[in-house]
Amino acid sequence: MTVLDNLAADWKKCGACVVSRHDFRKDGLTLSAVTPTKALKAAAEALLRAGYALLDVSVMEVREGFLATYHFDSFAEAGRTALRTLVPFEAPELPSLSGLFQGAEWHERECSDFFGVRFFGNPNPVPLLLPDDFDGPPPLRKDPAALAPLSALGLFGVPEILDPAWAELIGPGGRPKGDRA
Amino acid sequence: MSGLGFINPFGVRELPGTTTGDFYTANFAQKAQPGRVILNLGPQHPSTHGVLRILAEMEGEYVWRAEPVLGYLHRMHERMAEVKTPQQFLPNMGRVDYLHPLAWNWAYVGAVEKLAGLEPPERAQWLRTLSCELNRISSHLLWWGAFVMDLGGVTPILYAFEEREKINDILQIITGSRLTMSYFRLGGVCADADDRFLALTREFVPYLRERLKMYRGLVTDNVILRRRLEGVGPIDVDMCRRYGATGPVLRAAGSPNDLRRDVPYGTYPQHDFWPATGFPDDCFGRYLVRLAEIESSLDIVEQAVRGLPPGPIMVDKPPKANFKMPAGETYFAVEGARGQVGVHLVSDGGKNPYRVKLRAPGFSNLSLFAEAAQGTLLADAVAILGSLDLVIPEIDR
Repeated sequence: MTVLDNLAADWKKCGACVVSRHDFRKDGLTLSAVTPTKALKAAAEALLRAGYALLDVSVMEVREGFLATYHFDSFAEAGRTALRTLVPFEAPELPSLSGLFQGAEWHERECSDFFGVRFFGNPNPVPLLLPDDFDGPPPLRKDPAALAPLSALGLFGVPEILDPAWAELIGPGGRPKGDRA
Repeated sequence: MSGLGFINPFGVRELPGTTTGDFYTANFAQKAQPGRVILNLGPQHPSTHGVLRILAEMEGEYVWRAEPVLGYLHRMHERMAEVKTPQQFLPNMGRVDYLHPLAWNWAYVGAVEKLAGLEPPERAQWLRTLSCELNRISSHLLWWGAFVMDLGGVTPILYAFEEREKINDILQIITGSRLTMSYFRLGGVCADADDRFLALTREFVPYLRERLKMYRGLVTDNVILRRRLEGVGPIDVDMCRRYGATGPVLRAAGSPNDLRRDVPYGTYPQHDFWPATGFPDDCFGRYLVRLAEIESSLDIVEQAVRGLPPGPIMVDKPPKANFKMPAGETYFAVEGARGQVGVHLVSDGGKNPYRVKLRAPGFSNLSLFAEAAQGTLLADAVAILGSLDLVIPEIDR
């Protein structure tokens, strides 16, 4: 069992909805998983045990809600991995990973600034990059009409779907072939 | 007080009592113990490199708690990336990190090329390596001068600028600018190296090697410098991992992680160089790592000038103005002067990217400052801050 196989097994145990293998040369990732928001911390803990570090937290808006992507890298070998979780627009609430990876605190505050999502358990939930008297919508929110569905973004490499509800979200074939435009 | 009625994602906050100052000062003062002093460093303090602000709760000379306050140079580059085509956004990358702009050029161009399946020709790849390494040297030199100035030695920065000017003269020939360079294009580079560029580069390598010997005698072996740095601010691999710190900070901690060797891109697999490791994990170790990296970059530059193959510098059919990326996601990272420079690019198949996330190495490196500075003398905290090599525009983006 390689490090990645172990990680995939751990994530499945945590209740991951989708575990995907990626072509590193194309996607810049080796392995990724979609977990329910509740299982995110447990899945991140598996990465901590395997010696991974948190690189960044990248939130994006899709038609289905906010998709948070956490990028991890191990300083040893194996390469970059990602954890994703989807939260609905009505309740944009995520668990904070700052108890596991202290560096998550700033990344989460940045995401709160730009998207208006909340991170429960963040020890210092104040604006990080935007001024404290910033009065306006979160700057990275998109026009609802411009939102792309999750299935159009080719995020899932070669997916192994564990939660049938996600089969529809991912759409046929995972990565869209050909030019959609 | 004013400024607290903002609509922020955390809900409107009310602070009890009447405290003076802005939100952060109030927030900090609220938790302070009696008898301690809240000290504000920056955002215009000479030791904080640009517009970084540090709030520190002091007990006498000792830092009880220190917290960086960011955002004074925030320009929302990630939003600009979403409303511009990749070609239009390229000049922004030189402005994210003005000391090592070519690494950011490379990260963004590399991400788009990966998604679009473009493979730049051999000569363009070598020119990328060559220019990026020259740029890394100039970045490290400026850090060296500024760091020693932080510690009270004013002379070295004048030497550093002398060498830096030479590199700027060289890079100006091919990039056309001296600071916010935008040299890389989708599928290649914008200008070819001419004889003057190559001759000046060839001259520069032995020149800087000689100068580095002089720096060793003048600065590195200086007893005052050593006493200021040795044993100060140890940062181990575990701390780097918890905060996501990369680059020289991580290599000084003892991990040989270097993307140029671990996840090779461009022509790096064809170069012979050593990652700088085996140094102590304190401020002095981080100082030595960067000086060693100047030498390894000089090796790469020398090899790149020697091995530069002939040929085109651009793909046959470079992307036009109406270029559309295929839908998909990619993450491309390069080794910048400060660590892993990452670009997370998502496209829905349109002209503009759907989402671009810029991973700034300085952001993660600075986030460990609060922990590293806890309990140190204020003067040591300034040394730790300097040893992290901060470029604020990159952190604030």
